Amino acid sequence: MSGEHGQVSTRPVVDVHAIEEELAEVRWKLRPDGEMDEAAQHAAAEARANVLNLIVVVEDESGMEHVHRVLDGLSTHHPSRTLILLAQEERQAVKLEASVSAQTRTDSGHRVTTEQVLLHAHGQVAAHLASLVSPLLVPDLPVMLWWPGRPDFESQLFNELADLCDRLVVDTDDRGVEPGRDFPLLLNVARRRKARVAIGDFNWARLMPWRHLMAQFFDPPSVRSRLISAHGVTVWYGGEGSNAQALLLAGWVQSRLAAIGVPIPRELRYDPGLPHGVSRFMLYTGGEDGVSRFSIARAPGGRLTTQMRIGDQEQLGRTVAVAPRSADDLLAIELTIPGHDVLYEQALEAAVG
Amino acid sequence: MVIFGASGDLTARKLMPALYNLALNRYLPAGFSVIGVALTPWTEQEFKTHMSEAATKYSRTQPVDRSVWQSFAEGLHYVAMTFDDMDGYGKLAATLDRLDRERGTGGNRVFYFATLPQFFAVIVDRLGASGVARAGEGWKRIIVEKPFGHDLKSAQELNRAIHAVFTERQVYRIDHYLGKETVQNVMVFRFANGIFEPIWNRRYVDHMQITVAEDLGIERRGAYYEKAGALRDIFQNHLLQLLSIVAMEPPANFDAEVVRDEKVKVLRSIHPINVETDAVRGQYGPGWVAGEQVVGYRQEDQVAPDSKTETYVATRLFIDNWRWAETPFYLRTGKRLPNRASEIAIQFKKAPHLPFAKTAVQDTSPNLLVMRIQPHEGASLKIAAKIPGPVMRLRTVNMDFFYGSSFLIESPDAYERLVLDCMLGDPTLFAREDEVERAWTLVDGVEAGWAAQPPPALPNYAAGTWGPEAADALMERDGRRWRRP
Ligand SMILES: NC(=O)c1ccc[n+]([C@@H]2O[C@H](COP(=O)([O-])OP(=O)(O)OC[C@H]3O[C@@H](n4cnc5c(N)ncnc54)[C@H](OP(=O)(O)O)[C@@H]3O)[C@@H](O)[C@H]2O)c1
Repeated sequence: MSGEHGQVSTRPVVDVHAIEEELAEVRWKLRPDGEMDEAAQHAAAEARANVLNLIVVVEDESGMEHVHRVLDGLSTHHPSRTLILLAQEERQAVKLEASVSAQTRTDSGHRVTTEQVLLHAHGQVAAHLASLVSPLLVPDLPVMLWWPGRPDFESQLFNELADLCDRLVVDTDDRGVEPGRDFPLLLNVARRRKARVAIGDFNWARLMPWRHLMAQFFDPPSVRSRLISAHGVTVWYGGEGSNAQALLLAGWVQSRLAAIGVPIPRELRYDPGLPHGVSRFMLYTGGEDGVSRFSIARAPGGRLTTQMRIGDQEQLGRTVAVAPRSADDLLAIELTIPGHDVLYEQALEAAVG
Repeated sequence: MVIFGASGDLTARKLMPALYNLALNRYLPAGFSVIGVALTPWTEQEFKTHMSEAATKYSRTQPVDRSVWQSFAEGLHYVAMTFDDMDGYGKLAATLDRLDRERGTGGNRVFYFATLPQFFAVIVDRLGASGVARAGEGWKRIIVEKPFGHDLKSAQELNRAIHAVFTERQVYRIDHYLGKETVQNVMVFRFANGIFEPIWNRRYVDHMQITVAEDLGIERRGAYYEKAGALRDIFQNHLLQLLSIVAMEPPANFDAEVVRDEKVKVLRSIHPINVETDAVRGQYGPGWVAGEQVVGYRQEDQVAPDSKTETYVATRLFIDNWRWAETPFYLRTGKRLPNRASEIAIQFKKAPHLPFAKTAVQDTSPNLLVMRIQPHEGASLKIAAKIPGPVMRLRTVNMDFFYGSSFLIESPDAYERLVLDCMLGDPTLFAREDEVERAWTLVDGVEAGWAAQPPPALPNYAAGTWGPEAADALMERDGRRWRRP
């Protein structure tokens, strides 16, 4: 009783009721006692457990493989209805096609069934795919929209999907995301008058160890009191791509300190020789016994080391191992967070300020 | 069975297929015969051909069993006449007598009014005057299609006309929703499962939402719909019927009169609707539904370009009795909504005390029970469960139960059940005179309130959305939200 079983079916004509029936049939065939006589079929009421709806928008076929890999890693703990949209408005010939599949995994000891619908649209209808998504959502469950790459904020598709969903999951470290332009757009999504959408960001989850370690410096009350005299934050980053990570981290410190009435400036330092992402993170405070410096730096072997200097006293630092997070881990985290992440939204706001 | 309107759409799409399937399952008595009545000058043979085509096209079971059809079709007859033609009723009487003799139908008759409502009174009157309504032995019953009147006054007039010829026990008013298995399942769900009844009251229920949502527009029914609107077309019958079933007191037994007494008590206890605070109307504009671009209501066939007819209604009702005092019931129906769904949702109150850390339960919502009538008949229950992992974090899990997936079990069509019940003399699933009149009283109240107000700017919702903003406001004022069915 372990492993997985899958069923797939493709239909060119798209009719919501046909898709639902097809899913029901595919699901039914996954039952261990799939071959039942008619009497048994009458007797069996089918039960299905689901925890969420997940909508994934993919811009072209090349993105599919990545998405499928991530989703495969998810299914055990998050039985869901997943709708994958391959929406290509710019392609000429009008096309609308659906294929459905269901997958059951028993490796956790329970039967967990995930249903998947792939909607592939070309032309004008691609902009209006939300009208097809809506009737396919399982009622009364949260709706997550995962948009790998930069969401097309201005598009009709994005805005209509945002109306449907409770949480938008992005990765601001993705190519194409420009913090200066896109952070404010993300904030707007989170603060829309109607249908406020919570934002999840893989990048935020990646920064979690940095945030934890920085916060831990200030656990002892004697150190915490220094926050009042904080006067600067510096983040070093490197490699190619955006500075979104560095900005978010600095924005986080700024917004936390602003919340206790201590506005501080930030400094971002770019070094092309460093690997991509944040390399070093420092917070400076004043105080009677001189300037203090709290620092976290990336060390070889995927570790982070901490250093604290109070006045001219160098304190003992420590080194912690940080396991890199895979995309399916990061997505799984996002899927279990309820509601708005206020700290993230404030960090985002400070980062664009 | 005499079908008035035998050349019509309803006969072809619903009645004939239902009768054929009853025959197929051997529910029809031996010698069962049908006399079709309509204007079209068909011969008996032409009538049989058309009915055969209808059954072939619309039967829920396929393919149609030729030998069953053949023997069923032997009992098909046709009389071409206008509904007010007394000579025609003479011919009808002669045919009925002949069938009694030849096929042993024993004087039992169902008169099915499958025609436009303006003819109901005429047919009743002529059935009385010609003596057909009383002739010979056996029982006589009439089945009256919807709509039954268009306001209280017309419904009362029709009731009066009917009672001049038939007693209430002979009258079967169709609301095909009541014939649906799943509506009957609502009663079973409530009264056969002991665990629900104790919490089915104001103490545990926060509110209920009853939705009859259609993704279709008005199809080719523009002329009818212009005069009816969503309030008369769906609210007056289907929504109020669902409400009375879900809110009624447990009947002492399932006798028709006992059940209908309980239902009518609910309707009587509904507080008059204040249109300013408790009713919202809407009309759809152009938009997209299920990946398809559709026109607005005013652009539909046979609809006035400045029509004020509502295609959407939402109301908040209160039932003034001990069980439900102060518990709001939110009812809505509309055309061109994103989804086709008829559902009753019971939102329970929050657990009184949550022994978990504050963060763990931040976002768990209270239990919700949804009874789905169509499509995907079944029920679902929303419960809080722990997210797997070392930390106590909760989230909502939906347990869905499907009464039978449609591809596996063909549940009988509502019309089969209703026609059979009528022949067996069981009116439980038909609307009684007082139910219908009480429902119209509520509707008339809303209509009058609306007439006294300037209508909102229409259209006020795009096809493919969940109705006008005012409907959301109706909920938000109470700190609640419409579900997404
Ligand atoms: N169609 C549906 O799916 C549906 C669903 C729910 C309820 N209903 C209700 O069912 C009833 C019938 O609807 P329908 O759609 O079947 O209507 P329809 O297609 O217009 O049929 C009307 C029938 O009445 C006959 N008729 C009209 N005037 C007549 C006259 N003066 N003398 C004799 N026969 C006359 C017509 O005969 P000729 O055509 O030969 O003139 C035709 O057979 C209505 O009350 C409607 O609200 C219908």
